[in-house]
Amino acid sequence: MTDGPLIVQSDKTLLLDIDHPMSTECRRAIAPFAELERSPEHIHTYRLTNLGLWNARAAGHDAELVIDTLIKYSRYAVPHSILVDVAETMSRYGRLRLEANPIHGLILVTTDTAVLEEVIRAKKIAPLLGARIDAETIVVHPSQRGAIKQSLLRLGWPAEDFAGYVDGQAHEIELKQTDWKIRPYQELAAEGFWHGGSGVVVLPCGAGKTIVGAAAMAHAKATTLILVTNTVAARQWREELLKRTTLNEDEIGEYSGAKKEIRPVTIATYQVMTKKKNGVYAHLDLFDTHDWGLIIYDEVHLLPAPIFRFTADIQSRRRLGLTATLVREDGMEGEVFSLIGPKRYDVPWKEIEAQGYIAPAQCIEVRVNLTEAERLAYATAEPEERYRYCATTKTKRTVVEELVAHHANEQILVIGQYITQLDELSEVLGVPVIKGDTPVKEREILFNKFRTGEITCLVVSKVANFSIDLPDATIAIQVSGAFGSRQEEAQRLGRILRPKSDGRSATFYSVVSRDTIDQDFAQNRQRFLAEQGYSYRIIDADDVFQGKL
Amino acid sequence: METRSFSDYLRGLDDAGLLALFQARPDLVSPVPPDIASLAVRACSAPSVARALDTLNQWHFQVLEAAAVLHEPFAEKNVVALTEKAANFVIPQLIERGLMYPSDDGLRLPNSLREVLGNEAAGLGPASMAKLSLKKIDEAPESAKKVLERLIWGPPRGSVGDIRDPGPGVAWLLKENFLVPLDQRTVILPREVGIHLRGGKVHAHRQVTPPVIEGLKRDVKNIELAAVANIATILRWADEALEFWAEEPADALRSGGLGVRDLKTIAGHMGIDESCAAFIAELVYLAGLITIDADDRILPTNYFDIWLTQNPSDRWLALAAPWLTTSRVSGLVGRAEAKNTAALGPELDRVNAASTRKLVLSLLSQNPGIEPEIKTFTSLVQWWAPSKRNPGLQEEMISWTLREAEWLGITGQGCISKYGREFLDGGEILAIDQDLPSPVDHILIQSDNTAIAPGPLVHDVASVLAIIGDIESRGGATVYRFSEKTIRRGLDHGKTGDEILVFLRKTSKTPVPQPLEYLITDVAKKHGQLRVGNTSSFVRCEDPALITQIANDKRLEMLGMRRIAPEVMVCDMDAHDVMNVLRNAGYLPSVESKNGLMLTGQRSNRAKSKARLPRIIGEVEVPTDLTLAAALRSIRVGEKSSRKQSTLRNISQSALGALPRTTANETLDLLSKYIQEQKSLSIGYADNNGSVSHRIIDPVKVSAGSLIARDHGTGEMQTFRIPRITGVAPL
Repeated sequence: MTDGPLIVQSDKTLLLDIDHPMSTECRRAIAPFAELERSPEHIHTYRLTNLGLWNARAAGHDAELVIDTLIKYSRYAVPHSILVDVAETMSRYGRLRLEANPIHGLILVTTDTAVLEEVIRAKKIAPLLGARIDAETIVVHPSQRGAIKQSLLRLGWPAEDFAGYVDGQAHEIELKQTDWKIRPYQELAAEGFWHGGSGVVVLPCGAGKTIVGAAAMAHAKATTLILVTNTVAARQWREELLKRTTLNEDEIGEYSGAKKEIRPVTIATYQVMTKKKNGVYAHLDLFDTHDWGLIIYDEVHLLPAPIFRFTADIQSRRRLGLTATLVREDGMEGEVFSLIGPKRYDVPWKEIEAQGYIAPAQCIEVRVNLTEAERLAYATAEPEERYRYCATTKTKRTVVEELVAHHANEQILVIGQYITQLDELSEVLGVPVIKGDTPVKEREILFNKFRTGEITCLVVSKVANFSIDLPDATIAIQVSGAFGSRQEEAQRLGRILRPKSDGRSATFYSVVSRDTIDQDFAQNRQRFLAEQGYSYRIIDADDVFQGKL
Repeated sequence: METRSFSDYLRGLDDAGLLALFQARPDLVSPVPPDIASLAVRACSAPSVARALDTLNQWHFQVLEAAAVLHEPFAEKNVVALTEKAANFVIPQLIERGLMYPSDDGLRLPNSLREVLGNEAAGLGPASMAKLSLKKIDEAPESAKKVLERLIWGPPRGSVGDIRDPGPGVAWLLKENFLVPLDQRTVILPREVGIHLRGGKVHAHRQVTPPVIEGLKRDVKNIELAAVANIATILRWADEALEFWAEEPADALRSGGLGVRDLKTIAGHMGIDESCAAFIAELVYLAGLITIDADDRILPTNYFDIWLTQNPSDRWLALAAPWLTTSRVSGLVGRAEAKNTAALGPELDRVNAASTRKLVLSLLSQNPGIEPEIKTFTSLVQWWAPSKRNPGLQEEMISWTLREAEWLGITGQGCISKYGREFLDGGEILAIDQDLPSPVDHILIQSDNTAIAPGPLVHDVASVLAIIGDIESRGGATVYRFSEKTIRRGLDHGKTGDEILVFLRKTSKTPVPQPLEYLITDVAKKHGQLRVGNTSSFVRCEDPALITQIANDKRLEMLGMRRIAPEVMVCDMDAHDVMNVLRNAGYLPSVESKNGLMLTGQRSNRAKSKARLPRIIGEVEVPTDLTLAAALRSIRVGEKSSRKQSTLRNISQSALGALPRTTANETLDLLSKYIQEQKSLSIGYADNNGSVSHRIIDPVKVSAGSLIARDHGTGEMQTFRIPRITGVAPL
């Protein structure tokens, strides 16, 4: 028994005691093969997954190293079964290889014929294969590179992909670091991605994921397709790229509902890509129109299904996924990893906060009581209506008014789900509202006014959940949300995490109706942030009215 | 005195010889046989011989098989010729075990040995009746050679389409008597031909020495670390499984085992696979920690409470010791071909389970620091104990033993650990207490509503946390998650919200996060607003005044009624009885409805009955020298007296000219002797009515409690049941 910072559990989770003097060293040592699952205040949880171990193999770490690391830092004896399992899992990687062959094109090669025999008999794999060349080699249809990798992964025999990436059409891109400097973690993330070839980078909201994208482009020095959630985000990307790189206005095109420009660097929205014309996806050709050297998926946790399918077909292009919250309530995280690529970089939010790159934030849950009439209405409401009833209670309105008055000198966002509720709030507070049907132009004007301080308070719907950069917002008040969505809560907090010029901390209020499903949903919503180490404080609506904040 | 039969040989043995025999085959003196004749009968009985064969190693076995191929009597050099020179050393050992004995004219085998070895021992057919010129085999045509090749290494039988119209090869062989027809479609290769083709030997590979063990070298430090981890895990598993069953007792199957569904439940609860769960269930069952109670529920026994307070070393020993000696094989549970074999069920006993287990462990401890490669290790075990009865099962038992020894921490990384060595030596394993991580008494609560115990928890804390939190991750540390559900469970078990908070504040090294405090007070506030209780009957009346009157009626005090609402009273007595009492007191009640009772169980239940430990089959306790000496004395005395008796009987018989009379053991002994000598006998045989007739017979063979013999009276082969034979005498 040593006195290490790590506890290896029999269910393959690793508990890291971060108050231990060796914790930083240990974190670095286990990061290549273990996936960070939760990072609350005292003990971080990592997990050993097959995918993580195979990625480590792909990055050149062998089982011996993993086992040595576990034993070295472990506080208690490491269960033997885990060590056996690690060795066993890692030895499965690389028995199959995808290679480019000058005669046959894409081929699947094995060092272990038994494995090849096993996989070619699998129902899902057989249709993807072509002619058998010899005992160890078989032809793969070039278009099925993504599909076969995915299926092999599911079978537990991941293929090592030596077929390489196409370089794409070269295009000179450099970072222009005149009045700013790339942050160390951004550089690490970009490098981690570049060495891995493809993959996902997970960084907190407000930590500058665009710069990681720009740095990746500077590595690739090739034409780039950037996919973003909406037009406002597309414009923000464009501005950011103009500011941070050597690219000029003519080199960056916007491909959205409004404009259809194709330039060396093209920024397209998910919406336009998935728009159907006469039953077919008319714009998916964009992937093929250009010899893209790099494809960037912003907010990859929102990747819509058609793009998923299409991404499987472009496995020879480098792909970078960017996100803050890779939790999907639909459980599709695995698909993201297998199609875009594995997680290449991940860092606890609190660590970035400690380095001062995102603003410290406090989270407050304000509990309000329903009025007697509302309680009765709630109790008799249809199940599908119940959340709306409790989430839009009148009491919330007065609480929001009070909170806005309390933070009169600060930049405030009021965020909600239900349009009627937002309209009411906008009226009561006397501030503009931005929702789905607000034209892009008007949105941009309002956001700009907010940035310059002309407006200090905005009511926004879920359109502002992502990618909207509002550096000086310090207060967010959430009145309702998409049920129990964890990533939405985190993204909304993310709106106020840009570091403030005066180093002020941000405050996130979540107004919740007591003793209703609103409260249950809130608990689920808060889980992601709680697991990132944000601790919620609960106060009563009466405290707000009495000014006890 | 001439020595022909086995009993003659035993009579001729000195005390040391008999003691050695008893030592090698302890089943012969349990119970102590009355005299040498019965000893000989027992030693020659098929079960005892089979047991003796189980103690042989592969080389012993091969020598014995070679001997079985020979005609009796045979000489040592005949055996050596068929095997290797080293057989010289083995033959005395076989004699010592009573599996071979010297007679006046050479070595002989006890008569049931061939039966136990099987008809075609070593894959060789019967001896040829005709005279063979084996040299001619070399001239055999190609087609004949092909046929021979297939039969060389056994089985010696081959089937042909039709014996009257065989192929040219078979025809040639039949003509030369190198094949013998058995029936219409079967031919057999005579023994002599087989041996000739095998190059004058019986076995292809004569395994004089055990195979060498192969495997990975392991570092001593890592072995011990792994073993400690295993020991910590098995103790935790046992504890958790028992706590689980205490809360949610499983129902035993009608046949008396743990059902598949319950096994799955416990495996899922603990996050282990089902074979491991079955092992743990069996382990705690063998240790007497659970039992199947009178009402067919599977429950922890009172011993569990004692066990919990013991040191880790004692707790571990309580689990490991019964495992070592049991004949139950938990690996059998849930195998595809035996779906119905349940843990704790009656079908898990296997002969040789314990001996295989001990052999595996002793081989492991003879090869410390090596994680054996399973294939060579299996062949090594099989060299030491060539199981002829069920080799497939033995192979599995070896792998199960290795697996279970690892689970128990007797091995670490597949190599014997220091705890395992001490355990096998029978010493105290106090090292466990020092090497296990010392228990912690605190937890760390985090803002995501989890609590982490950074080490094994002291029992008091762990048992409270198990109620108020769900375990999310197990291992060296434990991660608990609090939720509304778990807090409610705590309240259900009689804790108040304040108690839970005080407990958490006291136990946690970090401050209790505010949302958790809110969660607890919220749940506590709502908890118990609805009340549910058990009652047998109720008394209800629209008029509260009448209820008040009943409540104050002295004559009804015996009913012990409680008023739970102005118009309702409840009573723990049966509605029928309440009606009677009320009627006697002059009221006019009527039955409203009749409801069944809903019983809720208590949280932590214990069996009412004592643990019934499963018996151990197939293992004979090794007798002490003292008992052996006593057994020997008793046999010697018995022998004297029975000889005297038989002499007396003979005198009286010859005087009276009556039917022969012998005791059952003498009968068997005489029969086997005369079967060999092929002599006619005079026997007395009782019929269904008990009248005894006199028969003259030629005995042929004894099998399954019957004598097959030719009756001179009828001239036919007939079966005589041995218990009905009243006596045997040679003619």
